[in-house]
Amino acid sequence: MLKKLALFGCVGIALAVPSVSQAKTYYWMSSGSPADPVWTYFLAGAEQWAKDTGNTVKTSFYSGDVPSQQEAERAAIAAKADGIATTSPDPGSLVEIAKEAKAANIPMINFNMRDPTAPFLAYVGGDNVVFGQNWAQYLVDHHLVKAGDFVWMPVEVPGATYGVQEAQGASTVFKPLGIKWEITDATLDQADAISRMSDYLTANHRKINAIMGLGDLVTGSIKRVFDQVGIKPGSIPVIGWGNTLDTTQEVLDGYVVAAQWQDPQATSYVALSLAAMAAGGVRPGFNVITGALYDKTKAGYYAKLLSTK
Amino acid sequence: MKNRFLQGLLAKAELGPLILLIVEIAVFASLNSDFISILNISNTLAFTVELGLIALAMTLLMTSGEFDLSVGSVFGFSPVLMWTLANSGATSLVVAFFVAILIAALIGLINGWFVTRLKIPSFLVTLGMLLVVRGLALFMTNGFPQRTWSASGAWLPRILAGEFYIGDFRVYASIFWFLGSAIVLGYVLTRTKIGNWIQASGGNPNAARARGVNVNRTKAGLFVLCSVMSALAGTISSIRTSAANPDSGTGYELEVIAMVVIGGTALTGGRGTIVGTVLGVLILRIMRNGIVFVGVPGLAYNIFIGAIILGMMALHSGLERRHNAGA
Repeated sequence: MLKKLALFGCVGIALAVPSVSQAKTYYWMSSGSPADPVWTYFLAGAEQWAKDTGNTVKTSFYSGDVPSQQEAERAAIAAKADGIATTSPDPGSLVEIAKEAKAANIPMINFNMRDPTAPFLAYVGGDNVVFGQNWAQYLVDHHLVKAGDFVWMPVEVPGATYGVQEAQGASTVFKPLGIKWEITDATLDQADAISRMSDYLTANHRKINAIMGLGDLVTGSIKRVFDQVGIKPGSIPVIGWGNTLDTTQEVLDGYVVAAQWQDPQATSYVALSLAAMAAGGVRPGFNVITGALYDKTKAGYYAKLLSTK
Repeated sequence: MKNRFLQGLLAKAELGPLILLIVEIAVFASLNSDFISILNISNTLAFTVELGLIALAMTLLMTSGEFDLSVGSVFGFSPVLMWTLANSGATSLVVAFFVAILIAALIGLINGWFVTRLKIPSFLVTLGMLLVVRGLALFMTNGFPQRTWSASGAWLPRILAGEFYIGDFRVYASIFWFLGSAIVLGYVLTRTKIGNWIQASGGNPNAARARGVNVNRTKAGLFVLCSVMSALAGTISSIRTSAANPDSGTGYELEVIAMVVIGGTALTGGRGTIVGTVLGVLILRIMRNGIVFVGVPGLAYNIFIGAIILGMMALHSGLERRHNAGA
């Protein structure tokens, strides 16, 4: 409820700001990849905001390339941006830049990938450590894994902040129970990901008690992998990201027991709204935490949300 | 008589890759019996033949002394174009497929034109084309993957990537495209005038020109073939995986070149072998599959892949030297 109120308030402010001021220029900078399915929804949120408010939003992706992103952020500051909404490619990588933006009086909002070490005005998005913890707890609470079991965690980009944080969160639940896990490299290429995941599942299906998809692409590939290997839906419980239509359908069909919704479009929209609000003189003194874990009963709702794109 | 047979066998460029493949299969099978299960063989072949289709065309292009780094981008772009056209209702799936193939041929032609007419090295031309085509796919789709579910029931997807069972063994139609292409291209390379032109263009282009070979046209034709085969492979893959992502095929170009070289085709041109490439394709894909079965830690996967490729190249080079010394 609080989350909804916060979202409602922010959107309201965002719509009000442009009506009393001239169109401004904002920068939306992502450390993700333009071809990552979930980032397309984040991008759609930013584009929708530009359309709704009449402001200009300059969007860009840096695919984990920290120096390029830093250079672009500095360029946006030099161009006297009215506001910047940015993800953090690595914790600590934007500390100096956030200071420079602050000195130039440019509001900088952090979204999706949190970095508490940098002096951003606010953060909008999920908490990956908490998500990982929740997924592990869900598996334990629903008796899908028990002490001594083994959980397989495929991820598209091993070592990337999101997967590391999620595994870190999961470990707080698994370690005390003696549950073991393994993270494997699936890659961002879907055909290759399906091939690698099928290989792993064929070789290890006897020891895998549950699967935790650390990214959207891997969780959204579960149906194809199960079908390829001949694993029946539900015979190995799967939990993980759920920001794509593939995953909502997998939840509905019983391949995935629960999936994490992150409000990607709303996250971008609210981050830009907060930047606009700050540019108008009202500084946000709060963060907006998004995200919900959904199961079969609610998957239809999220499928409908995603189908609008 | 026996000696002559052995000498003939040793003189074959494909002997090294064949030995490597047999050793590889024997090692993996001895470490995990599931490796040679029907399910695993079927799974391995599914993706193998898709990369294999590109490798076959790349063999001919590399034999002519050029190579194409844009194949991975075309692999991703063509199905995205096809499904965008079909899903938007602009045209039927069949017409969309042929449009995608035609555009791929045009991409190959542009590569060929830049390389042969403007005399720019194929490394630079196709690197530029890689970025252009990948960017086009992203821009066209705004990054969103194209839905391919509507394919079920249509005849074209069934012909390209339909599946059927022989007992418990699942076979994808794509394997017939791969085998058919291997036979046709192998025949062209070794038994026809065009094959001679290709080898002459790569071995000594000036001498080939002096003997009346149209080197430019030969190379341009091979760039077109490479792009068309990449588009076909991408389309087959998109149907099999029910996904047409604009970034599909990222990094395939290097894997394909490695397959061709491991198979025995010279990186410098002039000598190529389709049988060797088929073996090279199997060696690399089976290796990727096998190290999962022997339980290599997930995050150490690439260390093993890289180390095994280096080891295999060293072994291949040793066998090659022995072969050349004996020839």
